[in-house]
Parts: sequence; structure tokens; C-alpha cells
Amino acid sequence: MIGAGEAMAAAQPRVVAALAARFRDLDLAEEAFAEACAAALPVWRAEPPRDATAWLWRAAFRKALDMRRREQTRRSAVLDAPAPEPTPEDELMALDEPIPDERLRLIFVCCHPAIAPESRAALTLKVVCGLSTERLARAFLMAEPAMLQRITRAKRKIRDAGVPFEVPGRAAWPERLSAVLATLEIAYAQAYEDAALAGETAGFADEVLRLSGLLAELTPDEPEVLALAALVRYAEARRPARLDDHGAMVPIGRQDMSQWRRPMIYEGLELLNRAASFGRTGPCQLLAAIHGAHLSRLETGTTPWPAIVDLYDTLVLLRPGPVTAVNRAVAVGEAQGPEAGLAALPPPMDWLPWHAARAHLLEQAGHVPEALEALRAALAMEPPPAERLFLQRAAERLAG
Amino acid sequence: MQYMLLIYEPEGVFEGEAGKARLMDVVGKHMALAKEMREAGAMQSGSGLQPVTTATTIITNGGSQTLHDGPFAETREQLGGYYLIDVADLDTALAYARRIPVVDGGKVEVRPLATY
Repeated sequence: MIGAGEAMAAAQPRVVAALAARFRDLDLAEEAFAEACAAALPVWRAEPPRDATAWLWRAAFRKALDMRRREQTRRSAVLDAPAPEPTPEDELMALDEPIPDERLRLIFVCCHPAIAPESRAALTLKVVCGLSTERLARAFLMAEPAMLQRITRAKRKIRDAGVPFEVPGRAAWPERLSAVLATLEIAYAQAYEDAALAGETAGFADEVLRLSGLLAELTPDEPEVLALAALVRYAEARRPARLDDHGAMVPIGRQDMSQWRRPMIYEGLELLNRAASFGRTGPCQLLAAIHGAHLSRLETGTTPWPAIVDLYDTLVLLRPGPVTAVNRAVAVGEAQGPEAGLAALPPPMDWLPWHAARAHLLEQAGHVPEALEALRAALAMEPPPAERLFLQRAAERLAG
Repeated sequence: MQYMLLIYEPEGVFEGEAGKARLMDVVGKHMALAKEMREAGAMQSGSGLQPVTTATTIITNGGSQTLHDGPFAETREQLGGYYLIDVADLDTALAYARRIPVVDGGKVEVRPLATY
């Protein structure tokens, strides 16, 4: 049996989403889940559950009901209030009902246009994917108290302003989708960054894979939604090849193609072709095309770096910013030489990929002491294990 | 849930001959929207307000009160009217609020009422 902590982490998104949808309260859902986990530990030690998720769902549901009743009793301000009648929900709890999948609904709640744009992604990752505030603060380059405040404020707005816990009607999709897409993309970027899926993003890549597929099914006429689903499939297809036998990250150009998952690649290709058929390009389509260009090595044996630089040149126009610029600089380094890549790097920033890219380009250009310095800067930023091993090896190679 | 829909528009847009014509158009649309909200059981109350030149503001400061001729703040847009509605959720309130006729530059603020 897997450890209790892992079982809880795996159960969290689904249980919290189901609770939030049922009780229409994000805080209540998270608290009830935390209480259920605390209650689970001693019980599970004596007798491991057959189905940890179902156990946590039932326990958390009961906790949530209790909490809701206490809240109502406090509100009505009646001393010695009689015990509330059992609700139909109590009766339901006696049954082994399947846990409803409410994650998509919850994503729409967290990505509501009434929530500040900068809060939506963080809130979704917190509530739907169960990321800790500390991890989110690191991911968004913010101080932890500021992140906590951002999330708290967004939750309060949802509760107090009466944001509905519903998937919106079709008429509202265009406005609502762009926020959802941006959020899923940020969520996936977090999972992608961690090649071994060892950190708190474990399980998250599968979440986004599933959610993006579901979204593409629900909105088959939205090219960017199709492209996001394609992008995630292209990237996940390479997942097994992203680590070597020692658990170190392998850069995309050196991955063993025999480990790439072809069915997932074909799935992505089909989605991207459908997206392209609408003739309206967008950032997700360009990103998916970049991944597709890397995958074309399967057919041709070489990576088409100049074509990848062209795609980045267009992407820079649609989505300027440091992430695009750093990735573009790496591609420029491959297509036009490391000095050109270094020149294309954006100004120094406090961001692991920037340091890692710079170290790589400096090493290629033969600037060993500077490359070592950049590697040390990257290692100081607590990279996930696979990235850490990769960077450490590069450092040893250069030092030795 | 109850929501207040607060309508802010640039002052003076309904003055003069052109303003009067604009006002007639806007009032007709308000009446149609109000009728629809009444029929849906959403409408609690609502009204336009006279211009801010009619406003008097009471300012409490350091335990004493003074009267000020004018609105509490001089801004380009001023509160010109409101609706109080009772609907299921924010999305329903926003859908009504979007349909409030406003001139270019107009703003509608949607605020849930506090519950105690």
C-alpha cells in the first residue's frame, strides 16, 4: 500500500472539488478535507482503508456538514439550540455513492472574471490541484504572506459576492475560457518544470492532461482549447524520456526517441490539426507547434532549430515576456550559435530557467568560469531533483 | 442574493437638446429592463437620481458635522441611478447589469448587500 500522505495528496483535488461544489464554499471544503486527513491518520495506522479516496470523501463530507451546522447555530445566536434534523444529505452519506467529479466546475469558479486575473491561477492551483501556499509563492515569485493574502481575498470575493458554482452557459464561454486556458497553462508549466514529478506538482500533469482533454471535448470549436490539449499531450508524450537511468533531466534535443509515447503524439497531432483548421492562430497553437517541431525529429532525425526560432519570433509578438524570451534564446543558441543565444537572453532575473539557460549557453561558448557561476546561481534556487542532478553534473564536468 | 447595481455616468451627458434626446432613448431602455426584471421577480427597487448639483453631503470629522454643497467626491463619473435586485447569484446580477443602458464611458458597479 502507498503511504498515507501520498494517498491523501492523490485524493485531494477530487474530494475538495466535490465538497466545494456541494457546499458552495471553498474554505469549508479545504478545512473539512484537512480535518478528515487528521482523523484518518490514527484510524489508517490500525487498519489501512480499502479505498483511501472514498474514505476521505465520506469523512470530509461529515466534517463539512458538522462545520456548516455549527456555523448556522452560531449565526442564529440561539443558546441550547436543538440538534438539527438529519438532512437528505446525511441519508445520502449512508450510501456508498461515487464521488462526483466537480473539478471542471470548480475551475470555472476559480477562473471567474469577477476574480482579479492575477489571483485566478493561484486560486485554481490551490483549490483544484492542492498546491501549498508556499509552493505557489515560489512559483509566482511572491512572498508567502502576499500569496496567502491574494488567495484569501479571492476566496472571500467568491463567497461574499455570490459567484455561482456552475459551469457557465455557452454564451459566456468566450469570456470565461481565456481565463481558464491561462490557468491550465500555468498549472501545466508548473508540472512540466519538474521532470521527475517529485515535488508537490506530482499528479498535476495527469490532472491537466485530463482537464484539457475534457475542455477540448466540451468546446470543440475553440482552437486555443484544442491547442492546449495538444500541447499537453505533446509534452507528456516525452515524459518517460525526460529522465536518464540515474534520474537526471535529459534536455529535449538529446532524449531517447524510442521512449516517446507515440499514441499520445498522434492524439496531440490530431488535436492540433483540428485547431489549425479554424485559421485563427494563437499562443497555445504556437507553443504546441514548437513542441511538434521537436517531435518531428522522430521522422527526420534532426531538430529543426531555425523553424523553432521562427515560431518563437511570432510567439514573442503574441506573448511577450521573460518566459518566451528565455526559451527563444535557447533556440537561437542552437540555430545560430551560443553567442547569439547569449545576446538574445533577457536582462538578469531571479528565475531558475534563466540561470540554467545562461549556464548552458556560456558552456557552449567556452566561457567556463562564468558558466560555473551561472550553474551555482541555478543550484541555489532549489531546483527539483531531476533538474538538480542535471545541473550538478554540468557543474562537475566544468569543474573537473 | 440581493445586489445593488450602481450606475455611474459622466455628468452633463443628458443636458442640452442632444442630451434630452439621449435621455428619452435611455429612459425607454430602462423601462423595458425594469419591466423584465419585475416579471422575473428580480426587481426590488430602482430609480434615477437628480444631478449632483442637488447633492448635499454631511461630513463627520472629529465629532462634529459639517454640511457640504455637492457630492462626497468630485469625479468625472457620478452616481446617477441604481437598481436593487434579488437574484440567484453574481452571474445573474451581472447579466442584468450588463444590459443597463449607459452612455459611452459609463460604469455599472455590482455590489452584494451585506447580510447580518
